[in-house]
Amino acid sequence: MASFQMKFLIKVLANKLFALAVLVGAGIWLLILPAFTGELGANPLEKLLHQSGEIAVWTLGAVLALSPLRVLFPESRSVSALNRHRRTIGVSACVYGLMHFGFHLLYEGDAQAITRSFSKPFIWVGLAGLSILLVLALTSNNFSIRKLGGRNWKRLHRLAYLAAALLIYHQAIAGKGHWQIARWLLFALASLQTAGVTKPLMMKLRRPRRTISILGAAATSPP
Amino acid sequence: MNCAHRSWDLPDSAVTPEAYYLRRREFLRLFGLGLAASAVLPSTSRSASAGFPDSLNPNYKLDGVKLTQEDLVTSYNNFYEWGLAKDQPKELANRGWKTRPWSVEIGGLCANPRKIDVDELIQLLGPVERRNYRHRCVEAWSMVIPWDGFPLAKLVDFAQPKPEARFVKFTSFFDPANCPGQRSREFPWPYTEGLTLQEAMNKLAFIAVGLYGKPLRNQNGAPLRLVVPWKYGFKSAKSLAKIEFVPEQPMTLWNELAPNEYGFYANVNPTVDHPRWSQKAERVIGAGFLSGKQPTLMFNGYEKQVAHLYAGMDLRKNF
Repeated sequence: MASFQMKFLIKVLANKLFALAVLVGAGIWLLILPAFTGELGANPLEKLLHQSGEIAVWTLGAVLALSPLRVLFPESRSVSALNRHRRTIGVSACVYGLMHFGFHLLYEGDAQAITRSFSKPFIWVGLAGLSILLVLALTSNNFSIRKLGGRNWKRLHRLAYLAAALLIYHQAIAGKGHWQIARWLLFALASLQTAGVTKPLMMKLRRPRRTISILGAAATSPP
Repeated sequence: MNCAHRSWDLPDSAVTPEAYYLRRREFLRLFGLGLAASAVLPSTSRSASAGFPDSLNPNYKLDGVKLTQEDLVTSYNNFYEWGLAKDQPKELANRGWKTRPWSVEIGGLCANPRKIDVDELIQLLGPVERRNYRHRCVEAWSMVIPWDGFPLAKLVDFAQPKPEARFVKFTSFFDPANCPGQRSREFPWPYTEGLTLQEAMNKLAFIAVGLYGKPLRNQNGAPLRLVVPWKYGFKSAKSLAKIEFVPEQPMTLWNELAPNEYGFYANVNPTVDHPRWSQKAERVIGAGFLSGKQPTLMFNGYEKQVAHLYAGMDLRKNF
């Protein structure tokens, strides 16, 4: 019985529609529904701006959590099920990032104000992170992998870590006290990455002969 | 203060009795209400929690400016004691947090220090008057709010500051047991703010005890708060517990946390940007989804009343 439920759960987790539903659902839940229930409040554009940014950065965090999770739990079938959605999740982060940028343009309102906003380092950092996400999203297809070659493609997509660093910083300084929110994302990602890197190293130290081939595979797995 | 500075007093056109004539029915109604109230309530113990009659001070009418809807003023609040999101104070500050009875401590370098109940203070320093003030948040949004209260200068006079007193320090309540935000150690609670004594004595500086004729809602800083309309909103400390007269510029919460972003003076100034955004324009709350932007005015439109306080000062440095 239990294993039947487990199998069902893994089937759901691995399903493309499930992933899409969660990723699109976040947008519906936080951006569209509140517009109808009046929960966007007194400054609706500001709320949309903040919510879309939050979705983008947490989605990026989710996709970056997947590779260390795979290293830490190589046997877990739910982790490998989730790993099938890396492309979808990554592209969604970019889409929400672009929406966030769109809301920023609307919030600033006119060309002059938009230009003024571009004079702020706070905005550059966000734009730099979003530009990386855009390049990665545009190359998130089999054609690009073939064209660039697996090794180069992987190298290019390691830039996701730089994007995350820039965007978490952007989130942390976005408002007075927003470090309180951003730190949860930063600490979670940093500890996962650290654990993901140290686990194979520890195993290498402990059983140098037997695990080398497995470790090699884990260490070169794409981010 | 000399007469040349009194441009905020009535312009000639507004001195005509027309404004009063147009509001004659309100006066009649008020008069009637007053009669009824005096019949019911012992005149010496009328509590402010009953609300305030519309006693608009005509000097602060703000002609041609639209007041921000009451439900927006009471649902969109920066009050970090209750959470970082603007809709949190309304929800979290109304789960049994008591703002009456409430006592305020007046102290420091003054001849008349005391701890006094807020309703007693209102009675002592009243009558409560209404003023429509522009409110400009440092985050580049703005409202226009009809506050009920009394001039801060009255409170200063009441306290009788000693000659050594050069600043006034405002301290908000501290109640981490009831107040989730205050359990966070990210902020040096309680909230503190400060003004120079001259700023505190300026006619515009105000202690609000109500808005839209009703006692202040908890999320707006009940039972009494500072309102300094020519400065960014964070200067207007909420839910005051202590008002002190001090010899040196006091440490204030935002200035301590981020001195490069939030200066002690924090005068509204469209020519000095916040490090993260421009202050040239502001989004008018309640003015529509896309159409609500307007240019920000120097000293939030109160230049004539307060510019002299900063004569010769480099406002870029003393932002």
